[in-house]
Amino acid sequence: MNLDGLDISILGPALLAGLLVLTTHIPLGREVLRRGIIFLDLAVAQIAGLGVIISYSFGWESGSWQIQFMAMTAALLGASLLYWCEKRWPEVQEAIIGCVFVLAACAGIVVLSSNPHGGEEFKELLAGQILWVSYEQLIPLAVVSIGVLALWCSAYNKRHPLLFYGLFAVAVTSSVQLVGVYLVFASLIIPALAVRKFKAKGLAIGFIIGALGYVFGLCLSAILDWPSGATIVWCLAISGIAVASFLSKREKVLD
Amino acid sequence: MPYIKSLIVICLLCVALPSQAALNIFACEPEWASLSQEIGGEKLSIYSATTAKQDVHSIQARPSLIAKMRRADLVVCTGAELEAGWLPLLLQRASNRKVQPGQLGYFMAAEHVERLDVPQVLDRSMGDIHAGGNPHVHLDPYRLLIIAQLLNKRLGAIDPSNAAFYQARLEDFQTRWQAAINRWQAQAQPLKGLSVVTHHKDWRYLLDWLGMKAVATLEPKPGLPPNASHLAKLKKQMAEQSVAMVIRTAYQEARPSKWLSGKTAIPAVQLPYTVGGSAKASDLFGLFDETLALMLEASGQ
Repeated sequence: MNLDGLDISILGPALLAGLLVLTTHIPLGREVLRRGIIFLDLAVAQIAGLGVIISYSFGWESGSWQIQFMAMTAALLGASLLYWCEKRWPEVQEAIIGCVFVLAACAGIVVLSSNPHGGEEFKELLAGQILWVSYEQLIPLAVVSIGVLALWCSAYNKRHPLLFYGLFAVAVTSSVQLVGVYLVFASLIIPALAVRKFKAKGLAIGFIIGALGYVFGLCLSAILDWPSGATIVWCLAISGIAVASFLSKREKVLD
Repeated sequence: MPYIKSLIVICLLCVALPSQAALNIFACEPEWASLSQEIGGEKLSIYSATTAKQDVHSIQARPSLIAKMRRADLVVCTGAELEAGWLPLLLQRASNRKVQPGQLGYFMAAEHVERLDVPQVLDRSMGDIHAGGNPHVHLDPYRLLIIAQLLNKRLGAIDPSNAAFYQARLEDFQTRWQAAINRWQAQAQPLKGLSVVTHHKDWRYLLDWLGMKAVATLEPKPGLPPNASHLAKLKKQMAEQSVAMVIRTAYQEARPSKWLSGKTAIPAVQLPYTVGGSAKASDLFGLFDETLALMLEASGQ
């Protein structure tokens, strides 16, 4: 037990990063759930990582913006491939996404085995740690989040599936390197799952669930000295279950 | 229930400990926490960021790490890029001016001694190699002695009012350490010239000190996990060459060395590697005692 970590200057940037991730991931997560393709984020993140590894094995030296560019390009290419698959074989899209995920992961292992160059960046890209985030790193994430949200909301009535896949690739690639794959998956799916029965109010309730999960997760990890990302994932689940069961009870009373 | 118990113990400790201004030491690895303890004793409040069961190349971020780093007066780490994956991030997030690179509070042990295997040309295709040479210096007792002397100076510079205290403890440590080195070297005579296979290159300095030879590593390249073709090659090599043992740390996977041991009948040994790596390795003296005992036992001496 340790109360030193309960310090807003330690937990603040992480909390803000979490809230920013939630702004885009809750609406996108609801769409993911509606389409029934819940492992899309893992596949997209893995493809982004593969893009980085391959660019290294071509001997392209890296500044950080080149890595970002390679990761984004790979993620967007992967997302358009998956969009094409959805059009072609909609009934097995989930299975295809799963296969693409393992193929990208294994391609990464093979490329790295002959040339470990890029392995570090690959790891960093997928295993972001929310606690290391600084306020400066949040500026690009905020810009990307606003852009994604603006495009997603402005196209409310005529959302093209390709728009969804593209925005999803951008949102996941920019958030996964700050908070890691587990938190991205949890932020995407858990709030959306908890509010699946709600229509208009779903976004707001989902955001409250997510925010509660991040606040309690960060505080708990500070008090118990547990790794922050993993603790937040559990708190997101607990907050999702708690809020969903509270709301469903109230609904029954109202009936 | 154990939680409640330890909670009570911690609360009692907080009350019992006088709130004197002890110097806060943030050690990245247990060996440096232990060395600081030898020199600083009760004048220091020491925190070790990792344990012997963790791979220090990468660790999970916890809030307490930032909190401890923020209050540190001195950061004692290995350096030479060993903690490159997390220490710079942690220093940046903690923004404690006293312990930033170049300040008195920033002490990178390996960077104060001569390192082996400094690459002539830096080519990352050779694996995860460190530009500053092999950083795992603490298993050479002579290098450790140099580091102890420098750490004493640094502590004296940060905390001049206790400089004489640190100096006296250093001298005591030096006497005991030198006697221990003589004892260890006599004990380790039978190990001289023996060949070993290691998991990673983290035994470089121990083997160099003992006059032993590392003929191969289980990792095909530093930082890459052992793979089938490489292990098969090693098995062949073992048939042609006499190798005394296969060694690994407490945090490395046991399967590759057990596999090779099973195929070749060469004993696989898990050594403590650092303080806390086994029950007997509870301080630096215990670490070397236990390491030598296990190696002598494995070599059949």
